[in-house]
This record gives sequence, C-alpha cells and structure tokens, in this order.
Amino acid sequence: MKIISSYSIKGGVGKTALSVNLAYALREAGRRTLLLDLDPQGAASFYFRLESAKKFKMRDANSMAEGLRKNIRESDFPGLDVIPSNLEYRRLDILLDGMTKRRKQLRSILEEFKPDYDVILMDCPPNITLLSENVFRASDVILVPVIPTVLSRRTLEQLTGFFTDEELPGDMLRPFFSMAQKRSKMHREIMADLPTAHPGFLKTVIPFSADVEKMGLHRMPLPAYSPTCAAAVAYRALCAEILSQPSLRP
Amino acid sequence: MQNMTSERLILPVGVGAEFLLDEWSCEIRQQESRLLTFWDTFEWGVWFSGHLLYSCEGVYHLCTREEGWPGIELCEEKSVGRRRFWNEFATPEMRAKLEGMLGLRGLAPVVEGTFRRRQDDLRNGVGKIVCRLEWLIVSLGKQQEELLHSCRVIPLLGYEAEADRLEAYLFQAGAKISGEGPLELLLRQSDRIPREYTLRPPFGLKSETPAREAVGRVVRSMLEIATGTVPGILSDLDTEFLHDYRICLRKIRSVLTLVKEVYPAEETLRMRQILGDLARQTNRLRDLDVYLLARDEYLELLPPGLRPALDEMFDDFSAERGIEVRRVISKLRAHSWSRLMGEIEECFSPKNPHPPSPASALPVGPLVFRCIYKRYRKIRVIATEIGVESSDDAVHQLRIQCKKLRYLMEFFAELIPREEVTALQKLLRRLQSRLGEFNDASVQQQSLLNYWEEKKSGSDVALGLGGLVSILYHRQQQVRSLILQAVKEFCDDATAASFKKVFKQPLSVLTTTPPRSSQS
Repeated sequence: MKIISSYSIKGGVGKTALSVNLAYALREAGRRTLLLDLDPQGAASFYFRLESAKKFKMRDANSMAEGLRKNIRESDFPGLDVIPSNLEYRRLDILLDGMTKRRKQLRSILEEFKPDYDVILMDCPPNITLLSENVFRASDVILVPVIPTVLSRRTLEQLTGFFTDEELPGDMLRPFFSMAQKRSKMHREIMADLPTAHPGFLKTVIPFSADVEKMGLHRMPLPAYSPTCAAAVAYRALCAEILSQPSLRP
Repeated sequence: MQNMTSERLILPVGVGAEFLLDEWSCEIRQQESRLLTFWDTFEWGVWFSGHLLYSCEGVYHLCTREEGWPGIELCEEKSVGRRRFWNEFATPEMRAKLEGMLGLRGLAPVVEGTFRRRQDDLRNGVGKIVCRLEWLIVSLGKQQEELLHSCRVIPLLGYEAEADRLEAYLFQAGAKISGEGPLELLLRQSDRIPREYTLRPPFGLKSETPAREAVGRVVRSMLEIATGTVPGILSDLDTEFLHDYRICLRKIRSVLTLVKEVYPAEETLRMRQILGDLARQTNRLRDLDVYLLARDEYLELLPPGLRPALDEMFDDFSAERGIEVRRVISKLRAHSWSRLMGEIEECFSPKNPHPPSPASALPVGPLVFRCIYKRYRKIRVIATEIGVESSDDAVHQLRIQCKKLRYLMEFFAELIPREEVTALQKLLRRLQSRLGEFNDASVQQQSLLNYWEEKKSGSDVALGLGGLVSILYHRQQQVRSLILQAVKEFCDDATAASFKKVFKQPLSVLTTTPPRSSQS
C-alpha cells in the first residue's frame, strides 16, 4: 500500500481537484483506492455527494482508526472508497499533540487499512500544523500542485525549506504545475525555470480548465462526466506518470 | 473495501424496478438477455461436485453452484463445436477441474434457460448511489413466461441502512427469501431432477426377509438400472452406459447363481441363458471400448519411436467400434430385445406366482451368510494351490471366485455388520485389484496377439505390438508376486477366523424355518 498526499500550504491551487480526479484515475488503473478527506471544508466529499462523516470519539490511535473505518463510504465508482470530511478534524492537531509519537501517529492509524487498499490518497487542508507534519511522515509521496505564479513558487520554497529544517526527506515532495495557462507569459517563464531548481518536478501539467470548475455542478470526478477534455486527459497522464515510477508505484 | 452480499429476494408479479419509482430514485439500465445451456453427465458429476457448467454464445463457463444459483465463475473456454469429454476442453484449468467431475462420462445438455439480468442503481436525495439492485428473470428455454423473478439488494459500503429499508419495502410488497434457485426450477420444469447414481443401491433387506423376496428386489433394482442405461447406449454418449448395462446383467446372473434354489431351477436356467445372450451381444463393443480407452496408457508404455506403429491398430479398433456400435444399437432396438427384457421383468415381478423352491422361503440373512462363508472357504482351498508357477488359468479361477464373494458381500451389504467386515473387505479389494491387473495384462497380451494373427500387418506394427506384449508380460510377472502376498493376507488364520466369526451359521438356522408358500 502506498500513501499519497495532495498538499500545499497555499489554498486554491487545485489540491482537491487533484485528489478527486487522481483517485478516480487510480481506480481506473485497477488500484483499490481510499480517499481520505482531511480538509474540514469537505470539498472532496461534496464532489462525491457524500455527507459529512459521523462524529466519532478520537481518544487515541485505536479509536481513531475504528472511527475512520466506520465512516468509509463506497463511492459510485467501484474500487474507490472515501472517508468524508468532518468538522471535528479541526481538533486533530490538539488530539495528536496529546499522544506519544505525536508526529507519527497518522501512519500507524493508516496501516490498519493496508489489507484493503492499494493506495490511500489524502486531501489535506492548506496549512502547516501538527496534522501536516503527521501527513508528511505518513506519506510515501506528497504531490504539490503549483500554479505557475510568483506566490505559488514562494510557498513551494517555504515547504522545501520546512522539509530541510525538519530533516524530512525532500525527495518525497513531487510538485507539478496546476491550472497552467500557456497563453500567460509569466506562466510560461515560471514553467521553464522552476523545475530546474526542483528536480522532483513531475512532467505532467494540469491545464486551467473551466471543466474542472464544473465538478461542483456535476458532483463527480471530471473524467466521469467529461472523459476526453484536456484536464481529464492530463489527470490520467499524471496518474500514469506516478504509476510509471517504481518509487511512486502503488 | 468489502464485498457486500445479500439474500436474493423472490418477487411477486409486478414488483420490479418500476414499482420502486413511487418511493425511490432508481436509475433503470438496459437489460441483458442470455440463453444458457446447462451441461452435465448422466451421473450429474458437475452438479454433485457443487458446480454448474453452462454454455452461452459459444463459450463454456464453469462456476460454483450456490443453492441452485450460478455462483463464482471458476473458468471459461471458447468453443467452436460441442465438447463432450473433459479431455476435449483445451484450457488446462478447465480440463483439470472437469476431469474429476466427469471421469469417463460424456456431457449432454440438461436444460436451457433464458436469463434476463439488469443492474440498476438506487440513489439517495443528493443523487448518491446507495444500493445496486440486481434483477434476474428466468424463463424455461426461449419462452417469455417468467419462472423466477428475483432481486438482490447490494448496499454500497456505508449504506447498509438504506438497503435494509428497501428490503423491508419489498417484503411488504410480497417479496420472499429465495427458496429454490433458477436451476432447481428449470430442472423441475423439465422433469430433470439430479439423483445420485450408483450401481450399489440399498435394497431395503432384513435378515429375516424371505430369500425369494430379497433376491427379487436385487434383480429388479439391477434391471431398472440396466434399462436406464439403454438411452445412453443408443445415443453412444459415452462408454460407461454400456459398461454399467453389462455389470447389471452380470450381477443379476450372479445373484441367481450365488444364492441357489431361490427360484425354480428351470426358470433360473432360462433367465441365466437370456442374460448371458444379452450380455454377449455387447462383448466385442466393450472389448473395443477398453482398448480405445487404454490408448494413451498403451502408447506411454512404448518408447516414443515405436508409438506411431500402433496408430494403425487403434484406427482399426476405432473403425470396428463404429460398426459394433451400430450393431449393438440395432440389437437393442430390435423387438427380440424388448421381448427378452420383458421376460426377465415378468419372471422377477412380485406378481409372478412361481411355485416354492427349496430356498425360496428361507430367511435371506443366514442363507447368504452361509453362502459367503462357503465361498470364502472355497477361495482358501484354491489359494493354497496358487504359487509362482501357477498357470494364468488358475489365477483366473481365483479371480472369479473372489469376484463372486465380493458380489455376495455387496448385494447383501445391508445385512452385514459393517464394522466387523471393513478390514476383510479391504483385504478382498486389495487381492481383487492385484488379480485384476494380472488378468488385464494376460487378456491384453492375448488380444494383441489375436490382432496380429488376423491382420499380419507390416513390420512396424509387429515391432510395436511385440514391444507392447513384452511390456505387458513383464508387468504380469511383476504382479504375480504381489498376488501371492495379497493371497497370503486374505487367507491367513486370522482372516479365516474373522470370516468364521461373522459368517458361519449353524445348519439348524436354515433347516428349522418351515418352508412357506411364497410369492417373490
């Protein structure tokens, strides 16, 4: 089982679109996939027409694992299950803080799901908290959507800096360009420049697309209602790129 | 990620997906209709192994049988033509699975049914799928009339409560938990009920049953089985119909000989003659079947270079078999065959008022035990003369006596205390098996030499036959020492004491019972 996270410090960069569409593409590729919506906003859950997860007691790792398992919902797409978001997740930091090995608890909780899934994909909220640190230590790969803008570049640098400071393995960060617009000169320049500073950059570029925004109307992953649009094709290509790399392959 | 399964619900007429639309949001999909042909052997080998084999649009599917429903598919195979025997399938998986289920039996279509399937999605208020609904309508053959209309409610993980609500709704509308599966219904509609097939059925005998009644029951049961094999012989579906037909005739002849004076002597003699005549009609065909079934075994005995030499012989056997099959079929269809079978039936009918005979009213238990014990003692006498130098004929005589003993113990098994004779039967089986191997090797050598005598084929064939005869001779000599060991075990003092303990009867048991005027 591989644990993949969709993470960025910055909001609005396409993390949830990545989680939802990559999860769909992974199950299309035959991987039993569990999408864990850790963002209290619950956008990923919304896209799958799921209600919030039921409240459960989060006393320790065992009760958390049990609570998460009880909240697993089978999506409309066989092979893809989702644990919907819950506003209670905003308290996860406090809970984790009270535990021993507080930075590594999430990994041991997720190990529980190993027999049932090939991939666990986590949609993470945009901040750096104790939960984020748990996500970093639980993940095999962290996919970081980067809009080719100056601010996005800055947040990527903040993230790599954090990894260096915390002595986390930087090669698990796999940024890729999201919402890219080839017509924008700035986008083109940053796309030419940034990957040279970050060797882990994935080659696939997710283009900006109005079709992605319509996910909220359709309430389903993009490839499910518009399988041939450029962005849907790009998400499949991103999935293929991940599966083609032995270190990333679930 | 779990597979949620649920009961199949049998629905009353009119309760379909459309019925749900009043209360539920149900997305109705396209229906898929397939005509399935189910296959099995005369012995229902597939069914009784817990499987189903069906073909549909040129593909054979083997699946598990889950209470009359097709279950998990185990393997499939495309086929242009019809498959009859397990070794006619091409895929190793299918062959391996079917070999044990079919043995030497051939497949025939058992029943056809049209299966109309549809999978619909049941959605909640926000349009999320909460359950999948598997509808199945089954009709006999290509008919439209519904034999079974069922629905399986499969909840998506996390939506079990919705499935419970839906099932409760369907129960209210008259749904029932499935009792009979579509296969059971289809088979019942076409009068094809799977029954265990055996050449050793129970006869319902008791020790005090009068001998004529007991023997009559054995004969009638065997006759019924023999008659049941005839359609299979006529269609030449497989070799086992004829094999079983012959066994039944032989068993009837044997029981009349082994338990003497149960019927009037002249009637017994007449029946034995008829049964002998009927069996002889099929001797050559059975011989040819045996040779052809052993083809691979024969060929494996020879070095690869010599194997093609035997092709000519097997081609001859195969051609001759075609002629023999037609001859046997014409015999079985002839009026004389029906007349002879009718005579046997009439003779052993319970209504036939035969006059009493010396053993007709004796209690069958003591009578048969006495026969068994006498037969065993006879075997012991013959066995003392069996040695490394004994002729094939002497060994053959021992084999015949052992077979008679086994038949006696088999016919009247219900009367024999099982726990006391298990060890004895095991020793007898071992001895018979050795004697059988010896006899087969002897008969096969003779047959090959006879073939050579008749054909005087070319030197290649001679070389192949010569090689085979040598191997069979060598095999026969090897078995000889094993026979001696088996004889020693079967005839030693301990075994003799066990036979005596179980089967020896005081003579008074048979003489004190007053003879009754009896009807069989």
